Parts: sequence; structure tokens; C-alpha cells
Amino acid sequence: MKTSRYFVEYLTLLLVAVLLALVPLGLAPLGPGGGDYYLRLATMMLIYMIYTVAFNIIFGHTRQLFLCVGALAGCSAYVSVVLVMRMSFSPWASIPVGIAFAAILGGAFSYVSVRRGLGVIFVGIVTLVFSMIFGNLILGLRVWTNGETGIETRNLRPEALAPGLESYYVILGVLMLALVFYHLLMRSRAGTAFRAIADDEFAAELAGIDVTMYKVLAASVGSALIGAAGAVYAYYSGYINPTVYGPVSVDIAVLVTLLLGGMGTLLGPVIGGVLFAVLDEAVRPLGRLNVLAYGVLIVILVIAFRQGLVAMLRKLTKVRIP
Amino acid sequence: MIATLIDGIVQGLQLSLMAVGITLIFGLGGVLNLAQGQFAVVGGIVAALCINAGLHPLAACALGVLGAGLLGLVVDRTLLIPAYRSAGEERLLLGLLITLGLSFVLNGFLDYEYSDVSLSLRLATPSFDVAGITIRTASVAVAAIAIVAFALLFVFLKTTLLGKVIRSIIQNEVGAGLCGINPGRIRTLIVVLSAMLAGLGGIAQGLFSSLGTEMGNGLTDYALIVAVVGGVRSINGTLAAGVLLGIVNAFASYYVGAYLTLIILLGTAVFTILLRPAGLFATGS
Repeated sequence: MKTSRYFVEYLTLLLVAVLLALVPLGLAPLGPGGGDYYLRLATMMLIYMIYTVAFNIIFGHTRQLFLCVGALAGCSAYVSVVLVMRMSFSPWASIPVGIAFAAILGGAFSYVSVRRGLGVIFVGIVTLVFSMIFGNLILGLRVWTNGETGIETRNLRPEALAPGLESYYVILGVLMLALVFYHLLMRSRAGTAFRAIADDEFAAELAGIDVTMYKVLAASVGSALIGAAGAVYAYYSGYINPTVYGPVSVDIAVLVTLLLGGMGTLLGPVIGGVLFAVLDEAVRPLGRLNVLAYGVLIVILVIAFRQGLVAMLRKLTKVRIP
Repeated sequence: MIATLIDGIVQGLQLSLMAVGITLIFGLGGVLNLAQGQFAVVGGIVAALCINAGLHPLAACALGVLGAGLLGLVVDRTLLIPAYRSAGEERLLLGLLITLGLSFVLNGFLDYEYSDVSLSLRLATPSFDVAGITIRTASVAVAAIAIVAFALLFVFLKTTLLGKVIRSIIQNEVGAGLCGINPGRIRTLIVVLSAMLAGLGGIAQGLFSSLGTEMGNGLTDYALIVAVVGGVRSINGTLAAGVLLGIVNAFASYYVGAYLTLIILLGTAVFTILLRPAGLFATGS
């Protein structure tokens, strides 16, 4: 029997979709109160998975250290929310505007840094500095953004994004779209180029790959996904302020998730996301010590566990895990 | 007006103290230390604890600086080893991520254990008048500390053999190795020295206003901006950038407000990286 070349990938995508779709059923017996709490956690987990899929494209495949995932998500979110508030856009119309804004911004960063020949560390610094600029701009543009106080989005959001089962499945839909898109991207010409760039950028250039174009492509596509997740989160959470999109709340979490799961893999962001959600919940009782726990986790992951879980499972089971 | 200028210069000198450590570690070890501000906080908190224990403030500050140096030694000999083992971009990335994790560990630990401790050193005479301008004694003290520290650093790098060795590694690590220099030990020395300079910066912050456990990230950010604007490999550049940004910071916060000031500083850093990656004051390219 001749199976498709991408049979494993299809099977994985299907499994991920089915398993994640079953999560709310598993949470239902916890009763209405506890169930709501855990459903919220599960939804947040999905949003962080989308961030991580995007970050995986940008950093995992083309080695552009974007330390501005939170800021890009925040840009998209604030653009969308302010449009709804001030220009009475409908949320569904304003989310694409936010996404486009994030994509253009990410693409511009990438273009400039490739053109200037910035190394990975300088891309990291520039984007980190951009994160700080973003935070201060939001604080400074008080008239539009309400500064530190933030904006209530409870009354602006469409019904489908109110916390509950419906929003869980809507966001799961977005995640699955992101994963399918990732799969399609990786099996296309672009995927080959990404792999070549990740291995050796110089060699890729010599082999006739337009490195600038593919890096900018990866950055814009990834930033668009980040923007989508950020805007969806803005309505889902019912409240936004600069801190929820700060580097500590988003970038660190995404970095840890990707390192946990495994860079450059399809399943990495998903497995990492589940693990991170569990870990995050496990360290919550530590209160203020949870920052310390994150730090220890990052150090251990970076030093001893750089390949991530997917690579480890591959080695253990000798199965081709996408 | 002149008071603002003096404020700016002094603050700039303090920032340079913090930033020169980043410059040195990056130039020599190829690691961008994102925990520099945390080193400063550790130095300051150790000093504060010693003062609370009844020690003389000067001795306490010395112990604080030593404490920061000790932390630097431990970090260099344990956490940074995997980074040193790899080369090129890989080392940069590993170093960045490890020190990022370290800054979290230190932040979390300090916040949990010593959140009620803060360092604020008060001098006997708070201020004096020169030609009609009121100058804070603390400013003079901070400026003196920074200038002496930088003078010692320059003399050390320019005149001693060890200084020459250090500069040779900054210029070319492989070449220095071929000349029989062991970069590992020099690196440890430099990390310890940088951590001690950061500790000194933390104590200067305590003199200036006060140093709390939550200030680590802010200090790292400022130090990073200064190091970047000065060109992350040049010590002279770092000093100049620190003073320049200090002055800009003082005037901008006076005239346009805090948010815009920070955006101006951050913008300077971005444009330096994009337009003059070797630093704002680098000659030629």
C-alpha cells in the first residue's frame, strides 16, 4: 500500500486537533466553577501555542531572534481595539487591520536587519529595544490607550470570543489553521529555503537562495500569526494593558515553550505549550518565587536540553515525529 | 540648567560603570550579559545587609562589591561554561539565553527573600553651594567613584602586561590563543571585574537615591543601551555614550517627560545599531 509522503504529518495534525478538541470534555466534570477556570487556562494555552508556532517560523527556521513577540501581538491588539473604539469598526473587520500592521512591522524589522547584516544578537537587541519602546508608547499615548490602566474590551468583543466553549473552539480553529499553514509552508519551496538558511546562511546564499526574501517572508508571516493571536487575545481576555503584552509575560513564555518542545518541528510548539501550561500552573502556588522557577527552567533548558522534547522522543522511539 | 547638566553627567558616569561590564564581557567572552543590572542589585543588597548588621558603610560597600564579584566568579565558572565551549553565533545565543535565565533567577530570589531591603546611603552633608549652584554631595561622590574606577581601568588596560593580554583577546581571540594566552582564565578575571564594576554602579545608585530589589531589569536596560550606543566593543565609547545619554536623559526628563525620554534613548540605541554598528563614536569602519 502506498501511503502519502506526508502521512505522518497529516496523522499528527489530526491527532492534535482531536486531542485538543477533547480537552473541554475532560474539564467538564470539574464542575461549573473549576471547569471555567481550567477552560480559561486551556484557552490561554492555545493562544500561546499560536505565538510559539509563529516564533518557530521566525526563530526556529530562519534564526531571527525576535524578542518582540509580545510587542507585535500588542501592536496588533491595540490597533484593532482602538479602531473598534474610535472608528466604530466591527472587531472582525479590525482584526485583519491589526494583523496586517504586525506583519508589516515584523517584515520591516527583518528587512532592515538583513540589509544591515545584523547578527542574531543585534536582531535580539533591536527587537528587545522595540519591545521597550512599544511599552512606553502605550503608556505615553494615554489619550488613545488609557496608559497603564488599560482598556476594557468586554463590551467590544464579538460573542464568539467571550470566554466559554465557543471561544475555545474558535481559537483552536485558529491554531489548527496556523499548524496546517506551517505544514504547507514547510513542504513548499520556502520550507526548503528555510532549512538551508538555518543550516548555513552563507551557503544558502551561494546556492542561489534569496536569503533576504525568505527571511522577510518568514518574519512577516510569523508576525501576522502573532498579530492574529494577539488581537484574538485582546477580545478574549476582556482587558488589555501594556503589561500583558510585555516581554516577561509573552516573550519569555514563548521562548521557554519553543525550547521545551523543540525548535523547527511541527509538534514542538504544541507539546511545549501543553508542558508549559502544566508547569506554569505547578509553580503558581510559589507566588513570587515563580519568576525564579522560570529562570531556573530557562537555564536548564538552554544548557542541557537544547534540542527539545520532540528530538528526544525521536531518539527514544526511533519514530519520525514531525 | 547647569544643575541639570551636572546631574546628567553624574548619572551618565554611573550608567557607564554599569555598561562597561557589558562591554568587557562581550568584547572578551563573546557573551552579552543580560544580568548586569542584577549584579549591581546584588552588590547593593549585600552592602545594605552589611550596614543593617552594623558594619561601617565603607566596609559594607567594599563587601558589596566583593559579593558581586564573587557572584560573577561563580556564574563564570558554572553557568557560562557551556557558552564558552561553543563558538560564533551559537555562543552569543547561548550566552544571551543563559544570562537571561540568570537575571530571572536573581530577580525572583531577591524579590522573594529581600524585598524589604533597600540600599540608600546618606552622606553627612547632603549638599553644598558652588558659585550659586547647589550641588549634592552624593553627585560628587558618585562622580569621584566612577572617575577613579575608570582611571584605574584605563591604567590597568594600557600599562600592565595583563591589560595588554586582555586587549589582545578582545582584538582576536584565536590569535591571542596562538600566542600562548589562555583566554579562559582571563575571561574569568574579566567577568569578576565586570561584576564588581556593576556592584559599584549599584552602590552609586544607592548614593544617588536608593536601590531596591526590583531595579535590576531597569538597570540592565539602561546599561545595555549605553553599551550598544558606545559600540559593544569599545570602552572609551562606552564612557562617552554613558555621559552623553546621561545628559540627554537629564534634559529630556526635565523638558519632555519620562516616557518620551526613554523613547528617545531607545531610539538612539536602535539607530546606532542600524547606522553605526561599531558605536556612535567609532572612527572609520
